[in-house]
Amino acid sequence: MTDTITDDIDELIPASHISLSEPPAEKAACIESLLDLVVESGRVDDRQAALDALMEREQETTTGVGMGIGIPHAKTEAVDRPSLAFTRSEAGVDFGSMDGEPATLVFLILVPKEGGEDHLTILSSLSRALMHDDVRERLQEAEDESEVQDTLREAIA
Amino acid sequence: MSRERTVEIVPEAGLHARPAALFVETVTDHEADVEAGPPDGDLVPAQSMIAVTSLGVGQGDELRLVADGPDAESVLDELERILTTPEDELEA
Repeated sequence: MTDTITDDIDELIPASHISLSEPPAEKAACIESLLDLVVESGRVDDRQAALDALMEREQETTTGVGMGIGIPHAKTEAVDRPSLAFTRSEAGVDFGSMDGEPATLVFLILVPKEGGEDHLTILSSLSRALMHDDVRERLQEAEDESEVQDTLREAIA
Repeated sequence: MSRERTVEIVPEAGLHARPAALFVETVTDHEADVEAGPPDGDLVPAQSMIAVTSLGVGQGDELRLVADGPDAESVLDELERILTTPEDELEA
């Protein structure tokens, strides 16, 4: 399936939105560290509003979807274009997933409030890609940011 | 005993967030294998949150459910209730 929103991986997740160093071990701090990648690239008008929206979503129910994956996400007026960020953890971050697996691959999605279906499109495309063992392995083993982007480009397209 | 039905999604956010969590929990709590997917497409295991998320089911979309096992009928009843209840009226 081709979705325009996920066609341009470099726009959705520029290299600066990817961190390959160990994130904070605690879920909220891990989410903040991902948010800061998007803040630093100048895409977030109001950091606190974005953080509040993300945490509100986590309170409703966890975004730990199992298989070692966490996908914190929110629709917020604090961004004006869909943005994705990524980090990975060797230790694993406890996302309270139903399958009990700590998250070793964590993606953050921020979508403008009026983004309509973009939010579900990105979330479902990403989830579909991450169900494949080889995609998760490649993300675990990627040596640099461009390998992460290449993996996503191939897996999501 | 295999049962199936197709349900139109009522919650505003689609099969997402709390409705999705309840959906997956309900499947795990019953003695039945359940698969879900679009009416004319591939089915995925309904006890997996990532698989359910991958479906990207929005409000007004139809979802086909196929259940097999001793609880097939009751799990479909319960899933239909979750999928057809507005999110603010949904109780765990």
